Amino acid sequence: MSLLRGFDRRVRALALLLVALLLLAACSGAAEPGDGGDGGDGAAAGGEEGSEAAAAGVFVHAADDEPISLDPAGVEPGEGGETMILQSYERLIEISPEGSELVPALATEIPTVDNGLISEDGLTYTFPIRENVTFHDGTELTADDVKYSWDRVMTMELPEGAAGLLLDSVAETTVVDPQTFEVTLNEPSASFLRSVGTAMVASIVSMDAVEANGGVAAGEPNEYMTTTMVGTGPYRLTAWNRGENLQFEIFDDYWGEPANLDLRIEVAPDPDVRVLGLRAGEFDMIETDPSFIGDIEGAEGVEIYSEGLLLEPIHIGFNLNVPEDQLPPEDTIPADFFHDRRVRQAFNHAFDYQAFLEGALGGYGDFQPHYIPIGMFGYDPEAPVYDQQNVEEAERLFREAGWWDQGFTISVITEEANLFEIAALVLKDSLEALNPNFEVRVLAVAEAQFDEAHASDPIPYAMWVKNADPFADPDAYMQSYVHPEGEWGQIHGFAQGYENPEQIASLIDEAALELDEDRRAEIYSELQRLLYDDPMWLIAAQEGIVNAHRDHVQGFLMNTQWPRPNVKFALFDK
Amino acid sequence: MQIRDYILRRLMILPVLVIGTSIIVFSLTRVGGSPIGIYLSHEMNAAEVAALEQRFHLDDPLPVQYLYWAGGVLRGDLGWSGVAAAPVTQVFPAKLAASMELAVASAIVAVILGVALGTYAGARRNRLPDHLTRIFSISGASMPLFWFAILLLIVFWVNLGWFPIGRSTAEIFARIPHPTGLYTVDAILSGDLGALVDAVWHLALPALTLGYGATAIIARMMRSSLVEELQEEYVDAARAKGLPERLVLRRHARRNALIPTVTVIGLTFGFLLQGAVVAEIIFRWPGLGRWMADAVLRGDQATIMAYVMFTSLLFLFVNLVVDVVYAYLDRRVVLGA
Amino acid sequence: MVDIPRRIPMTAPLGESAWRVRIRRWRDLLAAVLANPTTVIGLILIVGMLSVALLAPVLTEPNTPDPYQMPRDWAALNEPPGSSEYLLGTTNTGGDVLYGIIWGARTSLRLSLIVVAATVTVGTIIGSIAGYRGGRVDEILMRVVDVFLSIPELIFALAIAAVLGPSFRNIILALAVVFWVKYARIMRAQIIHVKSNDYVDAARVSGDSGWRIYLRDILPNAFTPLIVQATLDMGHIVLVGATLSFIGLAEAGLAEWGVLVSEGQAGISAGRWWASTFPGLMVFVWALAFNLVGDGLRDVLDPRTETAR
Repeated sequence: MSLLRGFDRRVRALALLLVALLLLAACSGAAEPGDGGDGGDGAAAGGEEGSEAAAAGVFVHAADDEPISLDPAGVEPGEGGETMILQSYERLIEISPEGSELVPALATEIPTVDNGLISEDGLTYTFPIRENVTFHDGTELTADDVKYSWDRVMTMELPEGAAGLLLDSVAETTVVDPQTFEVTLNEPSASFLRSVGTAMVASIVSMDAVEANGGVAAGEPNEYMTTTMVGTGPYRLTAWNRGENLQFEIFDDYWGEPANLDLRIEVAPDPDVRVLGLRAGEFDMIETDPSFIGDIEGAEGVEIYSEGLLLEPIHIGFNLNVPEDQLPPEDTIPADFFHDRRVRQAFNHAFDYQAFLEGALGGYGDFQPHYIPIGMFGYDPEAPVYDQQNVEEAERLFREAGWWDQGFTISVITEEANLFEIAALVLKDSLEALNPNFEVRVLAVAEAQFDEAHASDPIPYAMWVKNADPFADPDAYMQSYVHPEGEWGQIHGFAQGYENPEQIASLIDEAALELDEDRRAEIYSELQRLLYDDPMWLIAAQEGIVNAHRDHVQGFLMNTQWPRPNVKFALFDK
Repeated sequence: MQIRDYILRRLMILPVLVIGTSIIVFSLTRVGGSPIGIYLSHEMNAAEVAALEQRFHLDDPLPVQYLYWAGGVLRGDLGWSGVAAAPVTQVFPAKLAASMELAVASAIVAVILGVALGTYAGARRNRLPDHLTRIFSISGASMPLFWFAILLLIVFWVNLGWFPIGRSTAEIFARIPHPTGLYTVDAILSGDLGALVDAVWHLALPALTLGYGATAIIARMMRSSLVEELQEEYVDAARAKGLPERLVLRRHARRNALIPTVTVIGLTFGFLLQGAVVAEIIFRWPGLGRWMADAVLRGDQATIMAYVMFTSLLFLFVNLVVDVVYAYLDRRVVLGA
Repeated sequence: MVDIPRRIPMTAPLGESAWRVRIRRWRDLLAAVLANPTTVIGLILIVGMLSVALLAPVLTEPNTPDPYQMPRDWAALNEPPGSSEYLLGTTNTGGDVLYGIIWGARTSLRLSLIVVAATVTVGTIIGSIAGYRGGRVDEILMRVVDVFLSIPELIFALAIAAVLGPSFRNIILALAVVFWVKYARIMRAQIIHVKSNDYVDAARVSGDSGWRIYLRDILPNAFTPLIVQATLDMGHIVLVGATLSFIGLAEAGLAEWGVLVSEGQAGISAGRWWASTFPGLMVFVWALAFNLVGDGLRDVLDPRTETAR
């Protein structure tokens, strides 16, 4: 073509080189590599065949967010850091992989009244410490490390962490001798071992490592511990490439059953990237939620595990403590809008639960009574549940409360682009379809902004969407989300809304101390019945548990009581 | 004389423009969010926050605040990026390298294809190739990059699987050192052909996408200036002399037509700079653009301000250079040939 | 087919009523414009989209309470196009893509009209002040214009919308703040051109007021480059606005093309291409149409007048 000949030789050469490179790249990209990886950063999906997963010997998991802190003292419950802590650190006792029994870990025995390791008055717990356990830095585990680990959490008292768990129950920690650790509680508690003993915040860190790198300072985070992990677990953190991945190596001196494979956790907030990566074989497992399981179902080489429900129900909060003049200007509701329980009941009846379940959750999920999730001790299957939209009842209640003709405009704040936003939209559609006088404004904001609002005291919005923190014991849910003097109760003025706040409070307090499990369950059943008529939340659903992984993964098992994604990678093989 | 005056005048205005831009950026920090938002980091306690407020004189009137902010910037304190969980200046170089690599690749594509296409069309004015090129050019100017990128993604990534997204394959990335942060250059320096191929393979799709619009701009300019050039008297003279068409084209017309094309370099650069934001989002390219997009969504003031400042200064500089070069060339053309 | 587009000089000789000259030449203008096939295509597309936008409440049942919010059918998520009652399919929240296309056109019309009206007004006022006053005022205003021009448009609008907060209204505001400068330049150039002409002095001497000169000579001659720029901007503004919405600066569930493309992105790895392809196509068609017409106008009108971009 005269066109090409018209060019300077240099330009022509450059063009040819570029074209050649591109062709070369395209060819080698499309071919199946013999060895070495195709895995990692970029997902190259191709037809139905997946290339072999990343170099054998590494388990690759794609997480949906990046940890903020790797320090047990500073990690927020429910955020990505907990996943990492679960793999690298250990606690005195753990929840067994198979079910919900407790098993000893860094302690050699579970304290009970019978074996004498719980004192008569129920206040002192004695933990015999396992011998010959080494930390990742080579030092050996003693009771001093345990005391140090717990004490530092309580001294640092980082606001974003879960220090409250320890501070609320522990009065004193004592080292009896290098192999014996003792805890004295403020008051007897039926849930201490389960709620506190197994929690990530109670992980045991190496005292020597911390002391050598910044020590402990009240109210201040330790930068070394935020980005490094020195624990006793089967995995040792070798690298954290921000925004890309975290790399772990098998810890050879692990006291227990060693891990089979190295571990790499890729940070992939994009569901597309995770889905395609899984299908292409680049990831062995990915973080999923029910809303896109449908996209993976039936893909070759992929196995979907769905059983059980998450213990973090998705809920919408009512603000009974609306701060004056701080609501968005468009809102027309008075400050005591939610004091009237008919209004709260009406909202609960108006929400289209089935639409949310089928739509957002793809059918994976269920509905629970207020406020004990299905699968938790104390859940009463006979208790009344809000699981169907009931327009007549909603209308009746709104009329009675005087809002039907008057109408209202209310804003609900949520994180954007996830299930919470969808719950907010379902709420909006449910209410607006009910009565044209009702307007619900959905404010979908970035996670950081939502977190800021959510952490305010009180929240400057009338409603918000979030999920509950997962707890190990029903008392924790009750204290947090129901008790008039509990965490949310105080901030959001539940006492002003309950018909009989004293009754609710006394029932919860009674159950907290009751050591007889049957009697305890009875109390919780009564609470679930009472709360149906006096709900402080709108519980959109309990998400079903779904996990997607390649079928070559062996030894797969999940335990919902472990932090998301509810797995310990050390147990897997390929 | 005229040229020197022109250059001097432009250079003298430069500081005014830089200061003006900084004032706009400063005003943006005062319009939204908290005034020290750019310096706040997740871990600071109340005492540190108060110290910050003191240091930047938040109690003083705005002009004073501006001076302290500007002083901070000149000392290299661009604040803390919430998105990257690190000081802006620490993260900036790596992201800059990524964006530069993409921009240069796209520019190469655009220049080669654009000049070729423009020449081809201009030489065949008002015949089919010209009209097709015109359609191509206009479509390039009207093309929403986010849509075009998604289309290419669907075809080439989801369905055909010919190209990957992201910047590199983890294993290949790990096996060579990265002194420059430009993966292609790093691969060449290491002599690792596989790494070079991997880098180019990841670059291909974003560069082609981003290059499409830039190609359209260049092609269009090349075409119209070639058309004008071909109408000049010397072309008829050369033809009358019996010179083959090719030579007329190559030796004279195209060279002269390239000169006005220089003027669109500024435009092309602006296009690439802005298109990078969207292209990096969609192709998951870890550059400045994607960082900015995350910052915008998460209220990371420091990153937003640093990005606006940087891109404006760059844009200003490039336009200045282009204008000066063009003035120089134009003068030559007027005097000589 | 016309070889060289026939140029219709719209610059009238000074003094004669430029308006009358213009009206006389409009027939010629129209003919020349319609002679270019690509311009005609652009016009047809514009008329088509305007009709869709204006007739939106008739073409589809407006959503309550806010027709600019996508209606959601939770029982019909992710329907492919052509199935059931949804011609172009539904999104992952059950939004009707066709509704989004139609009301998105209306949203785009609102956006472009408001922004263009505001920017033309502000730009011409500021440009007039600069041109008339000259001297110090002119210098300062032009430096301000230069500063605005040194920040790339999309990035500038992005930053403004980001600090104001994510909402469509703020996108409109941000675009208005960014796009007025070219009009200022055009207006100022026109005034300077007229001012430098001896005729004006003569007119002044004979008692013509500044206003009359302005209205009679300056405005009409500025009209053409302003119109060309405004036409091009109608397309460009929707393009940039959709990009801002795509990045995430508009409200969730808004019936706007950029928002739809962004929300439709999630499904592409599962083969759900329709939720982002159709709305994106509309943005392309809109920008293309106005570009074609704007270019056609520029070719036909006096090309030597300053038209940036």
